[in-house]
Amino acid sequence: MVDVTVENLTKKFGNFTALKGLNMTFPAGMVTCLLGPSGCGKTTLMRIIAGLETPTTGVVRFGDIVVNNLSTRQRNIGMVFQYPVVYRGLTVRQNIELPLLEDRSLSKAEREERIEEALDVLEMRHAADAEVSELDNGTRQKVACAREVARRPRIILFDEPITNVDINSKLQLKRALKEVFTRLRQTVIYVTHDQTEAMTLADQIALMNEGEITQMSSPRDLYDNPKDAFAGFFLGNPGMNFYEGLEVVAGAVTCPLFPAPFRITGRHAADRVVTLGIRPEHVRVSKTPSPGAVRAHVHRRAIVTGGQYLVTLRVGDLSVRAKVPASEGEAIAVGEEVWLELPPHRVRIFGSEEVTETT
Amino acid sequence: MATVTIAERNERALAQPRRNVLRAFEESRAYPAALLTPILLFFVLLNVIPTLWLIGFSFYRYSLQSPDIPRPACVSGPCPTLLSIPTGIQVSLTQQLQIIIPAELPIGNYIRIFEDPALWGAFGRTFLFVVLAVVIEVVLGVALGFLFWGSSKMPGRRVALTLLFTPMVITPVASGLFWRLIYEPTFGVLNFLIRTFGGQPIDFLTNNQWAFPAVLFVDIWMWTPFMILMTLAALGSVPKAELEAAEVDRMSWRSKVRYVIWPHGKFILMLGILLRTIDAFKTTDLVFLMTNGGPGNITELVGLQLYRYAFASLNIGFSSALAVVLLIAAIAFTSIYLWVLNARRRVESR
Repeated sequence: MVDVTVENLTKKFGNFTALKGLNMTFPAGMVTCLLGPSGCGKTTLMRIIAGLETPTTGVVRFGDIVVNNLSTRQRNIGMVFQYPVVYRGLTVRQNIELPLLEDRSLSKAEREERIEEALDVLEMRHAADAEVSELDNGTRQKVACAREVARRPRIILFDEPITNVDINSKLQLKRALKEVFTRLRQTVIYVTHDQTEAMTLADQIALMNEGEITQMSSPRDLYDNPKDAFAGFFLGNPGMNFYEGLEVVAGAVTCPLFPAPFRITGRHAADRVVTLGIRPEHVRVSKTPSPGAVRAHVHRRAIVTGGQYLVTLRVGDLSVRAKVPASEGEAIAVGEEVWLELPPHRVRIFGSEEVTETT
Repeated sequence: MATVTIAERNERALAQPRRNVLRAFEESRAYPAALLTPILLFFVLLNVIPTLWLIGFSFYRYSLQSPDIPRPACVSGPCPTLLSIPTGIQVSLTQQLQIIIPAELPIGNYIRIFEDPALWGAFGRTFLFVVLAVVIEVVLGVALGFLFWGSSKMPGRRVALTLLFTPMVITPVASGLFWRLIYEPTFGVLNFLIRTFGGQPIDFLTNNQWAFPAVLFVDIWMWTPFMILMTLAALGSVPKAELEAAEVDRMSWRSKVRYVIWPHGKFILMLGILLRTIDAFKTTDLVFLMTNGGPGNITELVGLQLYRYAFASLNIGFSSALAVVLLIAAIAFTSIYLWVLNARRRVESR
C-alpha cells in the first residue's frame, strides 16, 4: 500500500495538451475515481502512472520514490483494462496463476492461497476450472480483476472496466469490485466517465476537465458542494440549473426566480457578476403559494425513473428543471400554473464563468 | 386524351407505388447468383477446367513429339511453349484424341513417376530445398520481424524496412541474373572479395559443393522479407491492451509469446509458412536461370523437371501426371497447415 503523487504533470500529443500541469495525491489504501467527460485526460493520467505513457514534464512518485524512469514491470502495479484481457487457452484458475508463476519468491502453497482468495473475493469459485474463452465479457473482466488482486501489487489501476460489459453483468461486476475494494484496502485509481460508478465505488473523486483536476472531494461533498459550474453540471442526472450573468447590486442579485433580491454571500460576495445554480431535486414545486415562491407554468413533463418526474417550468424567459415525486408529478399538467421555490440554502453561487450545457 | 390532375397522379402513385426495377432485381433470387457469376466463371474457366484437363491428360501416354500425332509445324518452331497449349486443346477435342495412346494401365504415368530414380532424386532435393529454405526464412523472418517490431522508435526504420523488402519485389528472373553476376568467378563481386582477402576464387554455380547452397542463399535472400512482413502483420494483429497487460503482469518473454502473441498471430504466421512452403516447392525460374539444374543434377528440383517434361520434351501425359503429384503435395501442405491451426479445437472437442 503506497500513495501516488503527481507533480506538475503535463502531457502533450503534438499540439494537443492532454494534461495541464497536474498536482495531486492519490492516498494510500483509498479508492480514488478519476471522473470526467471523454477526452478530459483521465486515461492519459492513469497510463502515465502505469508507465505506459511518458509524461512531457512532471514527476510521478510512489511513496517517496520517483518512478518516471521505471518501466511498467518495474513499477509493480496491477491494471484492469477497458477490454477484458484474459490469457486464452487457459482456465480461470490458470489465468490467475500465470503472473504468480513469474514471481519465483512465491511457494506453491502461497500461490494456491492467493488464487483461492481471489476466487472468493470475486465470487468465481464455480467457474474456476472453466476455459476463459467459454466465458462472457463480464466474467472475463472478473478474471482480469482476480488476476490483479492475486498479484497483490502496491497499486491497482482500473481503466473503465465496466464499459465493455453487458448490462446484466455491470451490476454484478460493480458489486464484486466494491467487495474487492472493501476487503483489500489497496491503493486504487479508478477511471470512469460514469458518475454513478464513481459515486458507488469511490472514497474520493477527482473531477477532471480539459486536462485539469477541477475538484477533488468525497462523492457526497462533490455532489452537494460543487466548486465550479462544471462540477455542478457534470454530476447529477440532469445536472444543475444555471442562471448566468446576474449583476450583483448592493450585495444581492435580482432574479425573477426569487420574490425578493437574493443575497450573495461567501467567496463571491465581492463579485460584480455571478452565476446561480440549483439541483433539480432541490427545486420545490407546489400548487399552493408559499413565502419565497414565484409563479411558474409547466412547460414539459417527463418520467425520469418510475419514481420521479422531471418537470420543466418557465418563469418568464427562464427555464427551471425540477425533479418531483411521481405522486406530485402526476397531479401537474402541462400548461398549468404552479408555485416554484428555490430554497436559498440549496442555491449555489459560482463566479461569472461561462456555463455550457451539452445535454 | 383524358387529362390527369396532379392530385389524381399522386393518388395513383400512392395506391400503386412504382416498382423500382433495380430494387426488384436486388430482392430476387437471381441477384446473389448474378453477383457470384463472374467469380464462379473465372474460377471454373481458369481453375476447374484446366485442372480436370490436367488430370485427364495424366492418364494418357501423350506427347506432342510422338510420330503418331500430326503436329502443326509451328510447334517445333522457336516458341513451342505457348503454341503447344492450343495444339493440345485441338488434339484433345478432335478425333485425334483416338490417336493418344492410353497408358497400358490408366495410372501408367504415375507408376513411371514412382519408378523414375531421377524424379525421386529431384523430389529429395526439392524436399531438402523446401525444408532448409522455409526453416531459415522463418527463423530469420521472425527474428527480424520481432526486432523491427520492438524498434518502433529507431530512426530510419521506414527506410530500412523498404530496403529490406526490395528483394521480394524484384522478379526472380532479374534476381537470378543479378546473383549469377555476383557469383561469377572472374569478375563477380563475391569472388573479388574472396581474392581481396587472399582466398581462391570459387565458381559457386558450377561447383558441386557450392551450387546448392548458392541457390538456396538467393531464395533466402529473396523471401526472408516476406516472412518479416508476415511476422509484422501477425504482431500487428495482437491487441495493444493484451500486450500492455502482459507487461503489467510482469510476464516473461516466453509466456508473452505463448499466451498473448501466438494465439492472435498464429493464423497470419502459419499462412506465411504455408505460402512459402508451396512457393519453395515450385521453385523453377531461379534455378533455371542460375544453374539450369547443374552441375550434374545437384540443383535439379522437381519444378525444373516438370518444366523439362512439359515444355522441352513436350511429354504432356507424363508431365500432367507429375503436375498432379505436385498438386497433391500442395494440398497435403495446406492440410498440415489446417491441422496445426485446428489442433486446439480438436483437443477441445474430445
